[in-house]
Amino acid sequence: MPANKILIVDDEQPIVRLLSMSLKSDGYETFSAYSGEEALDVFEKSDPDIVVTDIKMPGMDGLTLLKKIKELDPEKEVIIVTGHGDIDSTITALQYGASDFINKPVRDEALAIALERAKTKICIREQLASYTHDLEEKVAEATKEIQRKSNFQRLLIHSSHDAIVAFDQDWRIVVYNPEAARIFGQRGRDVLNKMTIDDLYTSQMARYFRKEAKNKVNHTDLPWQEMILETRSKNKMPVRYATNVLHEKNEFMGIVNFFQDLTEIKRLEKELIQSERMAAVGQTVSGLAHYVKNILIGLKGGSYVVDVGLQNNNMEKLNTGWQTIKKNIKRVADLTQDMLAYAKDRKPEAEACFPNDIVEEVVELVTDFAASHNIHISRICDPGLDEMMLDPRTVHRALLNLVNNAMEACLELEDDTRKFVVEISITKGDDGSAIFAVKDNGIGMDEETRTRLFTPMFSSKGGKGTGLGLLVTKKLVEEHGGTIDIDTSLGYGSVFTMRLPEQPGISRNGNNKG
Amino acid sequence: MCKKVLVVDDDPDVRSFVVTVLEENQFTPLVACDGVEGLEMIQKETPDLVILDVLMPKGSGIRLYHHLKTDDTLKAVPVIMFTGIALRSFLKSQKALEEFKGEKVPEPDIYLEKPVEPQDLVDAIKKKI
Repeated sequence: MPANKILIVDDEQPIVRLLSMSLKSDGYETFSAYSGEEALDVFEKSDPDIVVTDIKMPGMDGLTLLKKIKELDPEKEVIIVTGHGDIDSTITALQYGASDFINKPVRDEALAIALERAKTKICIREQLASYTHDLEEKVAEATKEIQRKSNFQRLLIHSSHDAIVAFDQDWRIVVYNPEAARIFGQRGRDVLNKMTIDDLYTSQMARYFRKEAKNKVNHTDLPWQEMILETRSKNKMPVRYATNVLHEKNEFMGIVNFFQDLTEIKRLEKELIQSERMAAVGQTVSGLAHYVKNILIGLKGGSYVVDVGLQNNNMEKLNTGWQTIKKNIKRVADLTQDMLAYAKDRKPEAEACFPNDIVEEVVELVTDFAASHNIHISRICDPGLDEMMLDPRTVHRALLNLVNNAMEACLELEDDTRKFVVEISITKGDDGSAIFAVKDNGIGMDEETRTRLFTPMFSSKGGKGTGLGLLVTKKLVEEHGGTIDIDTSLGYGSVFTMRLPEQPGISRNGNNKG
Repeated sequence: MCKKVLVVDDDPDVRSFVVTVLEENQFTPLVACDGVEGLEMIQKETPDLVILDVLMPKGSGIRLYHHLKTDDTLKAVPVIMFTGIALRSFLKSQKALEEFKGEKVPEPDIYLEKPVEPQDLVDAIKKKI
């Protein structure tokens, strides 16, 4: 323990010597003085921790010494040695700040106790001082850190690309960054701590956020939403915004709004849509032009052959040329019909019909073509299939398209060894819809062809397809409330499955079978 | 003796047109419907000229052309490409085939894009034989 230096003051030298010896043997370092004046002198030179002084001394007495020491250093402990019953001096000593009293004659135990007490006091004071010092340092450090963090946050808010506007519990604006100033067109110094929500937002918005603040007591985060922001100066811009309602211990503290200006993004989106549309139009037109060119080639070739037939009076040439022309006229007709079917909305006209019969019709139409190309057409009809309310024209057209595609898929696979089969099956689904499946063992499709199947003007048939066939089929099926699914494997064939639900019938001659 | 001209095209309309043009101009027409048949015909009949479509099933015109121009016995037979696709696309696919097969072939002697006037076709044929 550092409080180890003791100054002993008494005009009676033997007492001083005795006490000094005794304290030295206890391990203290001692200094002696035989008068108040001398004591002050020694005090200043040796800087003791504790002073033990007699009261009654010639010249400067103990009380005056006490007073002077306390003036020099109020932290020094002074133990007063008094005679019995000297109450007045005791009180004065207390007033001067004496730390303890011991009675004369000084006994070792009493002195030891008094010293211990003084030392404890010094020790506590030192600890307190160091603790206070530490505390001050920590406070200073924390203050600096808070300052730094607050600066950081201020910069963060300041430099944010989002507009940030925060309101306190009285709806006064307490955060308002430059991006907010840009969006709302009001300078920060005119807004911060001056305006309330009603001065910045339109009344409708202000009402909305007040309501949100009230509603969202337990759920403080509102997801990002988009809206058209209207400022009080009637400017409008598309924004994305989020709101946080702030609470402290369930007490409403205010709200924060974040706004992102979407003007540029919206403009780019619009541009993109426009350019995509232009590309689609271009693709459609060029596909169409290609197909029309093919028809033109046929017509020109055919008319030349007809000319030659006429010149030479050759019936065979005439016939060949005329067939070519007729075939290409039909292609124009088909194309026109496909285009109209694709462009126009058409409500299915359901009537009671036998799906099996429609399959028969379609098979009959393609029999000649299939036979001449060595394709076997098989059909699996469900004999239990009764009359159904379907639009027979839709079924006929869609099924014929699928069967034609299936046959072409066979011809495209250049494999003489394969026995080509197109299988048409019809069943009734659990939900009562008619399910037509057209399966071929032709060329099949890779993933790319499969995904582009329903793109306008996409054709895998070189110049031979309009690129509208499947599109029309899909449209017809969807108008009928149905779906169309494809299962395909390149080199092995495809299955197109068309599911058509029954439709409520329309009244025909007052005889509604629906 | 009339010169023999082979037309290889999968479209019967095109075949009847070309055959008529050939007959009208005193050539002997030969026909084939696809690349495989076309090659057989060339080997059997050794025509004086081949009019070849590009997009066909069973051995496209691209493949047949490549075959003709890399076969020493058939190299000399002049070929008119007669097609609906642009020359640029044809050359691109020809290049792909070259890279694949590692043999360079010359560009076609004459490349006609459909539709073609009968007289233009005749002029093209006469330029070669």
